[in-house]
Amino acid sequence: MQIQVKCSCGAEKCPEWAIIELQGVVEVQPSFQHSLQNLQIGLLCRPSSQENYTFTVGYHELTGSKVALKKPMVVLKKIKYMDVEQQIDEATSSSSCVELDVVGVIRHKILFKTRPTALISGPQPTVKEKINAAGYLNPTMSSQL
Amino acid sequence: MMEQPHSYCKGAEVLLSLQPTSSVSIQYHPFFGPHDDLVLLELDEKLLSDVLYQRVTLRGQPDEDAVLCTKSKTYSVKFVGTSNSVFLIPPADYSASRESGGENYKQQVPTASVIKVAPGNMELVEVAPRLDKLKSILSENLYSSDEASTATGDLYKWDDLINKVQASDDELKAGLQALSAVEIDGFWRIVDEKYMDVILRMFLHNSVLNDWSLDSLVEDKVVSVLESDGFPRKLVYHCLNVYGSRVEEAMDGGVWRLDARRVCVHFARGILREGKRKMESFMEEWLRMIPEEMQPSFDMLEGEVLTEKLGVETWVRALSVSSLPTTPAERFSILFKERAKWEWKDLEPYIRDLNVPGLSSEALLLKYTRRSQPSIDAEPVFSAR
Repeated sequence: MQIQVKCSCGAEKCPEWAIIELQGVVEVQPSFQHSLQNLQIGLLCRPSSQENYTFTVGYHELTGSKVALKKPMVVLKKIKYMDVEQQIDEATSSSSCVELDVVGVIRHKILFKTRPTALISGPQPTVKEKINAAGYLNPTMSSQL
Repeated sequence: MMEQPHSYCKGAEVLLSLQPTSSVSIQYHPFFGPHDDLVLLELDEKLLSDVLYQRVTLRGQPDEDAVLCTKSKTYSVKFVGTSNSVFLIPPADYSASRESGGENYKQQVPTASVIKVAPGNMELVEVAPRLDKLKSILSENLYSSDEASTATGDLYKWDDLINKVQASDDELKAGLQALSAVEIDGFWRIVDEKYMDVILRMFLHNSVLNDWSLDSLVEDKVVSVLESDGFPRKLVYHCLNVYGSRVEEAMDGGVWRLDARRVCVHFARGILREGKRKMESFMEEWLRMIPEEMQPSFDMLEGEVLTEKLGVETWVRALSVSSLPTTPAERFSILFKERAKWEWKDLEPYIRDLNVPGLSSEALLLKYTRRSQPSIDAEPVFSAR
């Protein structure tokens, strides 16, 4: 089969997306796990004119910087056709029922590659950052989501 | 961006243009979730415009690993996972989330929302087109002289081929040409060699009868004579394309020249189709079949025949490079089954067409062969690793 890669927003207008990348995993407090919508994760600050950033998550603060990606990335969205169109298209089989739409381009990320430092006092956290020594993904996180 | 009211200051834009001494609240998007339908693809800057201007496709059957094709190249697609948390932040207008956001956090700072945590991204690696499948599916159903009675099974149009074969358009066209395939009634076909033999012999027969020069064949004459002999026009043109090339374009057709090498190879293949032959008897029959105008030489059969000494006799047998697989591992495996040890001059014609992006022919030899040299001034010999 052949899947056409499209860009329905138009090549010139394809919007830029952003990435915030940090080691380990952000863990949501149990009482908020089922209502993540609009929940604040943390506050990202740019303290000076340099491209350095801090990210405050709960009692923790991360320090990082904005970096240009070595190679750009595109965000692809899989689009499956509605059933109605499939019926019309039946003669040409099911081979043409998926498309990939380029919905964004990513050229920069804000990267936090150090472990967090603890803040002595801070706002009451609804979300806490938990980073283990090896920095690997805590498997319970993905199942909670 | 900065003049806009705060309600608009959301999403990736605000993050990427964050001014010094300001901050942005990072929050979960109203539609935060696993979003398996959103995939990140990393690519070279030079491929970006091909992707944005809709010049790439993904090709492959459900049981094959997908490849990404531009007009001229093929790339395999690999997933690379990460253990970091990669928060993906779309622009503000993504999926029309709207103003339910901000109720919990009526703050003085703008917000950017995370739509998903990406588990990794896809990467591209340039690969050779997977053309062996093209040969195998077209060989299932050869076009022959009694076409009407034998046409069963699957036939393939161009659109069927790009759905089945993992190759870019340019590579697929080159592959069809290398196979001497021809489009007949909309279907891409390989013409049975025996039928090609009949057409070519009739062609050469007519050239003698009509005193045509094989270096300057007038297209209109050739086509009309062979059509009157009962060959379809399309097949006559195909014969001209396979065994010759057009040297001159005229208002009403063109002038063609037969290619001596291709004609000589054709007859050699025909003789050896039944099995190996002693050199003398092969040469005798071969030279007899070739038109007088042509100057055959055994060198023309490079990559088509192998010679071997058995006792005092030299034997010739067919081994056509075009019949071998195009992937290096399979190619070398078959070559070393044919013959355990190869001298470079024999081996080279059978591997020079191998095309592996990023691997030179020296690297291929290092990877798949063992090189030995019996003495310092002896020719190196290649054997299987």
